[in-house]
Amino acid sequence: MKSIKRSLRLVSVLILAFIAGMIMLVLKIQREAGFYISHSDNAELGLVYDRNGDVLFDSDATPDKYGDNYFIDVGNLIGDAKGQMTNTLVAKNIEKLNNYSFSMGLVPKGGKSSIHTSLDHYANRIVYDSFGDSEGCAVAYDYKTGEILVCTSLPSLDVTKGYSGIADFETGTLISKVMYGTVPGSTQKVSTLLSAFQIMGKDKLFSKSYTCEGVYMNKGGNKIDCHNSYGHGTQNIQQAFQNSCNPFFAQLVEDDDMPLEEIIKCYEKMGYAVNDDEEKYFDINGIKCERASTTLTDSYDFNTQWGCIGQGKTLVSPMQLMLWQSGIVNETGKMTMPYLIKYTTNVDGEIGDWADTSFSEEVFTPESAVEVKNIMLENGKNYSESISGYTLGIKSGTAQIKDGEEENSLLVGFIENERHPIAFCVLLENKENSATRSENIVKTMLDALCK
Amino acid sequence: MEKTGKTKYVISAFFVLTAHIAMLYSMFYNGNYDSPSKLIVLSMAVIGLDFVYFIAMLFFKQTTYTIDFMLIFILNISLIFQSSFGGIQLSVKHLVTCIASLVACRLGYILCRDHKWIQTKKKAFYIATGIIILSILTLTGSRSMWIDLGFFTIQPSEFLKPAFILVCTTYVAEQQNKVSIWKFNIVPENLICTAFIILICGLQWWCRDLGSLPTFVAIYLCGLCARLCYPKAKLSKKLIVTGIILIGVLAIIAVILAPPYVKARLFVDIWSDSTGDGYQQSQALIAIANGGWFGKGAGNGDLHNIFAYETDLVFASICEEWGLFFALMVVAVILIMLACPLVNPPRSYFHATLATGVCSAFVVQMALNIFGSCNMIPFTGVTVPFISQGGSSMVTCGFMMGMLIAGQSPVFKNPVVKNNKKRKRVTAR
Repeated sequence: MKSIKRSLRLVSVLILAFIAGMIMLVLKIQREAGFYISHSDNAELGLVYDRNGDVLFDSDATPDKYGDNYFIDVGNLIGDAKGQMTNTLVAKNIEKLNNYSFSMGLVPKGGKSSIHTSLDHYANRIVYDSFGDSEGCAVAYDYKTGEILVCTSLPSLDVTKGYSGIADFETGTLISKVMYGTVPGSTQKVSTLLSAFQIMGKDKLFSKSYTCEGVYMNKGGNKIDCHNSYGHGTQNIQQAFQNSCNPFFAQLVEDDDMPLEEIIKCYEKMGYAVNDDEEKYFDINGIKCERASTTLTDSYDFNTQWGCIGQGKTLVSPMQLMLWQSGIVNETGKMTMPYLIKYTTNVDGEIGDWADTSFSEEVFTPESAVEVKNIMLENGKNYSESISGYTLGIKSGTAQIKDGEEENSLLVGFIENERHPIAFCVLLENKENSATRSENIVKTMLDALCK
Repeated sequence: MEKTGKTKYVISAFFVLTAHIAMLYSMFYNGNYDSPSKLIVLSMAVIGLDFVYFIAMLFFKQTTYTIDFMLIFILNISLIFQSSFGGIQLSVKHLVTCIASLVACRLGYILCRDHKWIQTKKKAFYIATGIIILSILTLTGSRSMWIDLGFFTIQPSEFLKPAFILVCTTYVAEQQNKVSIWKFNIVPENLICTAFIILICGLQWWCRDLGSLPTFVAIYLCGLCARLCYPKAKLSKKLIVTGIILIGVLAIIAVILAPPYVKARLFVDIWSDSTGDGYQQSQALIAIANGGWFGKGAGNGDLHNIFAYETDLVFASICEEWGLFFALMVVAVILIMLACPLVNPPRSYFHATLATGVCSAFVVQMALNIFGSCNMIPFTGVTVPFISQGGSSMVTCGFMMGMLIAGQSPVFKNPVVKNNKKRKRVTAR
């Protein structure tokens, strides 16, 4: 009998193991059922709201219900559930919009599932309109809390009109350019400046001066052009930053006190993928945002210097450019991590998923942040007329694209304001053919947010 | 039958009948049917089968009828399920296979109830297993697991399961008969069993029925464990360690050499490939979510539009129409059937080993189907015993359940042997 009992223990073990598996299955189904339903054709989706209760997404929306192009400023950011756009808030968080619970099933009417975002639809729309016929993108967020307030990208689409004629859509219509890498132009000099402060220290960097004669022949024998063909003369770091002088920064990169390995270390700490072909992303409420990338091989190499100046192979998303501003203006060297979703409600209306302010690890030293902040604030004084009414830290950039055939204008910065702690980045594409200027868009955006 | 036994019998029958009528009643109110006549036909089939079985069982004198009642209970629930997916209509095919399953159960019981007699038929099971293997080799083809007989198809690998259980079980008493091969003391019967499992694995690989492999391996391993537990049948540590290493190496080699379609199933992300390799599982999970705890109602599901809804995806089909709660209850009934030997332990080591083999086959099959269709493990496409549609599977499961019943109601009598030499050998066990 003893041996029979031992044998039957095996039966017990098998049955218990199976029961354990079934318990895991039930828990898994309970936890993930909303996700499964969100992939169903029968999904009943709730609404997405802005910070003031304005609707940003409604699966039953029609132009008649909301008005023509009502959602166009958030079309490629908030998106829809039709599957054409995959890197949008709705696509990435569709299970949170499900009017469904495992016990109640689908709730077509009366379901209270919703996403409440931090976006300001009013300001977003004004910024969108301020681009006029131009294309580009703009993003602004609260650098104290991480709330994204404005995030718009042109061209965009009114999702209520569907995707008929998708083949004729302009390039970039279905993505938010805020999340994707672009040539940063001289806004890259903020990163190089931060690196220089960390590598050399304040005193040594301020003691350095280089001469710009409009063109600089680097040690590798290549020409680095300056936007000022007459040259800026001999400058220190602050003057060169304000002048956005390319030859100065090329000489800075060549300087023996600024070893390339150290620059690479600083860049990588800031989140750059250096000499890495693989695309990398970080996450904002599920939305993938491209990480910065550049190629740095030799201090005397043209492409390396050009990369540190913000041209060539260097790519940085407007979102990333803006995030570094938070580390500078907060004087911590830590980025305030952005979010779009403030909170959600489930099918019963219970609030959940409250957003918490969080910070990155230290991506540059607080000391370098203080110095760069001061330089940017000094530079901001040059914009006191075009962007009046704000204590502004700013850096402009002109990015050469399509082999220099077109130039994009960028403005990245922050305002020092206790009530409105806003960092921003604006990208205006093909600025020569644009009826507006990036400063105008920034001014419009800040006015709308600080109304 | 004693008076108390009769009372228990009637109460059990009443319970089974009431449960089936309750399900039919639920279908009447919540089900999706074109005309009430379809529901009436189904009800007559279910209740009729109940009554016929209750009466037929009286012809078999058994110690207990617990598993028998649970078997008719689960089979008629299965008939109700299979007749309701996508719209209520009696599934005549499933009714026939249920009856075949009940008949196979009786055969399994008759064959295995006398443990002494059956252990004298060891060679017959070797031959039977060999014949089934040969039939797979010669009749199914290298990329198929079916034999097409025109009016119906059979899956011979299903019949291999009870045959292999019997092979593993009938030689369990040979464990003291060791011979020394190299440095190992080995029981020749164990080598034969190992040769069988290797042959079966190769065969399953050859006919692309890899889903059944874990079931056979589980039967073999449980048989091996049972032999370890056999009195005075100590296996050396060397042998155990060698065996474990061998199994591990074989598993790694199997994964490396697995054909592309198997690897695709092992590593598929069903949601990023929800229209390709992950289609069935993603639809199954959506159906489970749609069903919730109490289902959409019999015949109101949508999963019947998906291939294999009544076999590989049957758990999800039940969840969608009847709800997760009911599906769990059904699984619980099968588990209770398997757990009966724990409450009423077999009185012979043969029947205990038989129970272990049957339990391992049922549990592994259920796990492969349910966890596979719900994306917890790779999706293999095996059936849930008694619930999935499929004649071969139903008959096999019925037969194996008969083996289990045999352990509950065994017959003890000495085998009739003709010469003294044989008698001595039997007595020695």
